[in-house]
Formats: sequence, structure tokens, C-alpha cells
Amino acid sequence: MLDNPDQEIMGAGASRHSGPSRRSFLKIAALAGAAVSLGSNAAKAQGNIGFWATDLTQEQLLTMYTTILRIRWHERTMVDKMLTDAKYRGYNHFYAGQEAVATGICAALRNSGGVMNADLVYSTHRPSGHALAKGVDIKKMCAEMDFRATGLNNGYAAAMHISDPEVGFIGADGMIGPGPVIATGSAFAIKARGSDQVVVNFGGDGTYATPHFHSSLNNAALLKLPFIYVIENNLYHQYAHYSFSCPMKDIASAAAPYGIPGVVVDGQDMIQVYNAARTAVERARAGEGPTLIEAKTYRYYNHSGAPGASPGELGAFGYDPLAISSFRPERELRDWMQRDPVNIARDVLIAWKVVDRARADAIEAEIRKEVTDAFAWAAEQPLCKPEDGLKNVFVEGTVEARQFG
Amino acid sequence: MARKSWMYSFLEAVQHEMRADPNMVWIFELTPPVASNPGMPVINLETEFGRGRVVNTGIDENWMVSATLGAGLAGSKAATYIPYQGACMPFQTIQNHAGKLRSMTGGKASMPVVFVLEMTGQTPGMAGQHSDYEIDTYYAHIPGVKTVIPSTPYDAKGMMASALRDPNPVVFLYPAGLRQLIEEVPDEQYEVPLDKAVVRQEGSDLTIVGSGASMPEVMKAAETLKAEGMNVEAIDLRTLKPMDTETLVKSVQKTKRLLTVDQSYYTLCPGAEVIARVAENVDGARYKRVAFPDAPPPASPEMFLWMRPNADHIMGAARKLVG
Repeated sequence: MLDNPDQEIMGAGASRHSGPSRRSFLKIAALAGAAVSLGSNAAKAQGNIGFWATDLTQEQLLTMYTTILRIRWHERTMVDKMLTDAKYRGYNHFYAGQEAVATGICAALRNSGGVMNADLVYSTHRPSGHALAKGVDIKKMCAEMDFRATGLNNGYAAAMHISDPEVGFIGADGMIGPGPVIATGSAFAIKARGSDQVVVNFGGDGTYATPHFHSSLNNAALLKLPFIYVIENNLYHQYAHYSFSCPMKDIASAAAPYGIPGVVVDGQDMIQVYNAARTAVERARAGEGPTLIEAKTYRYYNHSGAPGASPGELGAFGYDPLAISSFRPERELRDWMQRDPVNIARDVLIAWKVVDRARADAIEAEIRKEVTDAFAWAAEQPLCKPEDGLKNVFVEGTVEARQFG
Repeated sequence: MARKSWMYSFLEAVQHEMRADPNMVWIFELTPPVASNPGMPVINLETEFGRGRVVNTGIDENWMVSATLGAGLAGSKAATYIPYQGACMPFQTIQNHAGKLRSMTGGKASMPVVFVLEMTGQTPGMAGQHSDYEIDTYYAHIPGVKTVIPSTPYDAKGMMASALRDPNPVVFLYPAGLRQLIEEVPDEQYEVPLDKAVVRQEGSDLTIVGSGASMPEVMKAAETLKAEGMNVEAIDLRTLKPMDTETLVKSVQKTKRLLTVDQSYYTLCPGAEVIARVAENVDGARYKRVAFPDAPPPASPEMFLWMRPNADHIMGAARKLVG
């Protein structure tokens, strides 16, 4: 919101004092399954910001700020590495533009204690933001994405399968479909054993069309599972607009037939996302069942890798050969970048006097250094031994080499 | 006749059949059925035949395959293209419906349908779900469905034409790693049979049998070994079901040595079936199998490239058999 900071700050500041009446209204709206549609100028005009976020401590707000910066600079550093370092072999489906969603959701979760205590997150093929927001160690993640033996998953996962159960990050998933259904199984086990954990499944707009989307909501509603389905609607599944897979404007409308809350939230604003998540988490912990949250957002890069991007520049404006016949309009990307989630986060925290601009800049410099150091550490880690590919098939032992006849 | 890519050749066959049959439908997701080739018109099925016949669905492979089968049962020729992300999602419909309906209806079901299932490009580094090579084994096991796996642009076009004209459901496997192949392909429509293997190189010392994505490495090995003085006969299976037992047996009767090569996992890989059929019919032959270990492909290129069968592995195994 650099172009129009006053408006954003006013929205955030004013709603900070909206108090319990606002809070109870939204709770009722959520329970009634009301889908609140947001225009591109978003929720600030509706005064939706701040009813839970006002409960956050200075420290928690600062943590959210460092998280959103860590995700952003991980993205930008990795994009630049892919574009400029011919020896770098890592790849990713970049999350830049969507950082407020992971940051806001995971700020409402318990992010330690392993699978028996932490809240669990199921991620996607676009996982690095979710992982960092959940608390995955950035050094080990960078090493994993660089195929290193000392990476988070010992070089077996790379970007698309990173997993760290210790912080409740069940992991990335390269497939569109089964993830949310599997996630409801975790929620079922949690309920059966009387734990207060909740399960969050992140999915893109493309998941709406899968039978799995509907199966997960139906079964979670039938069994009142502690399950939150977060749709990050960035408008495109790969290169196809979401109107090819969903007949409704708001995917959150899909909650109504299952009798559960469906909430549309401004995915560019981590505070709004946090509010929606907090409501859903409290509902889940109270045994009241699942919630569908649709965060309206946008990705700054193309579906996979960094085609069309230039070193040092945020966003990919150039040609993506994989798009074949369907290209997203450049002005659509530029329009979304006017409401950049990192800028919004910074402006809100400055407006709330959590930081001043100088401190905000200093924190950003610290995070950039942390990210740079993480990539440098990763690059020094050892590569995998070829024959270790025969391990990790079963818990015990190795399988036989068969490629030599 | 011109040099054409796999995808261009393949879509030429589809375009021809769709022009000939106004009822034929095509279902896809994510990536439009578009191909270009230097000096030739762009093929775009979606714009040429319109969205009434060429449908871009959401991500729902189950619907794509089931709807294709349903279109066939209603009497229309139909085909769908499933990207490798979802090649096993519709397994139930192919295995328990398409494969059995001819039998269960006493021959009454109409199923002029083709399920094009993309297999991964086995790109090093993609890990597990995006580097695997395994569905040849799964689909070849199903009775009532023809399972074919062309390995060249020429065969891709000819076998797609045959598949679309075949009254039986056909699983048409496309290893995406072959997308880079370019060769001379006729402009007119032609058929390549769906039940014949092809001898790619003749020889008398050793028979090497492969299919799909293993063929480029098989041919590299066969040519190198021939230059070294080993007379290798190289066979491309092309169809997994029905399998062309006759061509295999004839070859091994001559060479008495059989090496099978698969990118698929060792256990029940197509080569296992090849060896079993030959062993039933040829006395006194020796056998070896090169295949991917029974392990999901790990991300690290160091691990993956060591595990994936290549020309060096094939030549090593060949020398053990012949030496």
C-alpha cells in the first residue's frame, strides 16, 4: 500500500477499537455460514480488521512481521539464485504474493510439540511459505531444496515434499486431490483421542473441482472434525483461471451445503487472515467442527519456477513457455502488487505503533541477512550418496539395486 | 512428410479423427491440446472444434476418465488426456468399469474410447510423485483394456489413429520424457497396429527388449554394443496388452539370450512378463532384467540418476549375459 498508505492505516487503526460487538457479529456471521465477498479494495472498508488481532502482544505481532519478511526474502533470494546461478539446481513453486495467508493462518496455530501436540498443517506443491510460517528451520529447508544430505529430509524431498512433523508441518504434496481427505483423517484421530489439536489444509482454487475437496468437507462436517480448509484462491490453477473449475465467484460458498461456516477473507492482509483463522481455530478446539476459509490472493510468479522473472525484480512479467495459450494479464499482476501483503503488514504495524519505519527497515535487513546466510549454509552442505537411494523404502533396511541387471 | 515432435504428431492423429467424426469429444485439464511445429500450422483442438466438443475441466481426473467412458457408452467416440499428476486417480473406472463392461454386458457395451495417460518426464530432482515411472505395470494388468506405449513420434501418431478407431477402450501411455524426440512423420493419417512389437535393430547375439521411456537408452546401448562387435537385436514392445509374444519368442530362439530393460520398478515390470512368456516357449536361454529398484525415486539427482536404468547399466548387463 505504498501508493495509498493513509487509507490503509486508517482502516487498520479505526477497526482496532471496534471491540466485542464487532467480534460477536463476526462470530455469528461465521456460524451462520455467511460468505462475505470482498472487492479488490478489501476488508478495510468494512472494518473487519482487528477484533482478535488486538489481543496479540507486541511480540506476537513482531513475530508475524518477521515471518512474512522471511517468506518474502526466501522467495526473492531463491528466484534470483535460479536466474543467476547456473550451478544452483533448486526449484520451487513460488509463493510470493500470498505470504499473508500462511503468516496469518499459522499465527493462530500451535507450532511445536510434534504430531501429538502441535496443530497440523497439510501443504501443497507451493509449500515454502507454509513451512516457514509453521516454524520449519530455514537453513535445513534451503539445504533440502538444494538436494543436500543434511537437508530437512536428507535430500529425498526437495521442494515438493518437505516435511517437519516436529513443528506440525505434515508436509508439502505434489498432487492435487488426496491431501485434504488425508488431513481429515488426522483430524478424526485427534478427535478420537480427545486432543485439542486442529488440522489445517492449505489448497489452491484448483482443488475445488476435485472430488476430494467435497469429500473432506462432507466428512469433516458429518463428524464435526477439528478441520480447517484454507483455499488460497490466487485465481489460477497452473495456467487456467479458476472459473474453469468452479461455477461460483466465491469458493467459500461451497461451505453452505455442508452446514459449516464459509468465510471469504482478504488474503493480502495477514491481520484479516489471522482473525478468520483464530475464529476457525477456536470453533475447532471447542468441538464445533470445520470451517472453510477462502483467502483471495495472487501469486507474483508463474506456476512453476521463475520463467519470465528478472533478477532483483519482484514478480514475473515476462514469457512463460509452459503457459502455451493461456497467459495471465500483466496489468492484473501489477494491480494486485498495489496491495502487497508485506507492505500492508508493515504499514499496519507502524500504524499500531508496534514499530516505527526505521525499526521496520532494520528488521527487514536482519531477515535478509538470515535468508542469505541460510542459502550460503545450504550450499556448503554435502551431497547425497547415490546408494542411499535404496534406503527409506521401509523403516528397516535397504532394497536391492536392480538397475545393473 | 516433415520432421515433427511427439506432441505434434500425436495431435495430428487426433485432429484428423475429430474432423472425420463430428461426434468425437476430447476432455482435458490444465494444459490445452496445442502443438506447433516449424513451418506448419498450429494445432489447437480447443479453438478448432470449440468448447462444446473440447472441454477444459477443473482438476478432476476421475470425472475426465469416467465421462470419456460414459460418452463411449452413449455411442460417441471420446478421448481424454490425463497429465501425470493424476494418472492413477481414475484407476477404478478403467479397471472396474471400462475393463469389465464388455464382458459384463455380454459384449453389448460400446466403448470407442481412449485414455491418454501421461507418465512423468523422470526429471531428476522432482522426487517421488513427479519422477516416478510405474503405471505401465498397473494398467497392463487389466483385462479388457488395450495398453499401448509408443516410443517415437511416428508410432505415437499411427498408434493414436489406431486407438481412436479401435472399438475397445485403449490406455495410451505417454512418457513425457519423450517430448523432445523429433523425427520424420507423414502428414496423412496412417495406422500402426496395437498388437505388434517392432524390431528396432537386428542381431543374433542378444535380444534386448524395452518399451516407452527406456527405448532411447536401449537404442544407445544397442548401437554402441554393435559397434563393439556384439550383435544386439533390439525390440520395442509398443504394446503391453496384448503383448506380441511371437516377435519376442522368434528373437530369443535365435539369440538364446534375453535382457529386458524397464524404467518401471523391478517387481512385475513389463520385462518380467516378457521373460515369463519367452521362458515358456524357448529352451536353454539366459535372462537378465534391468529395472528401477523397488523404491520411490528420491529427489537428490545423485541418488535418482544412479538408480534410473541408463545405457551404461544396459551395456554392463549385456556384457554379463554375452561375455
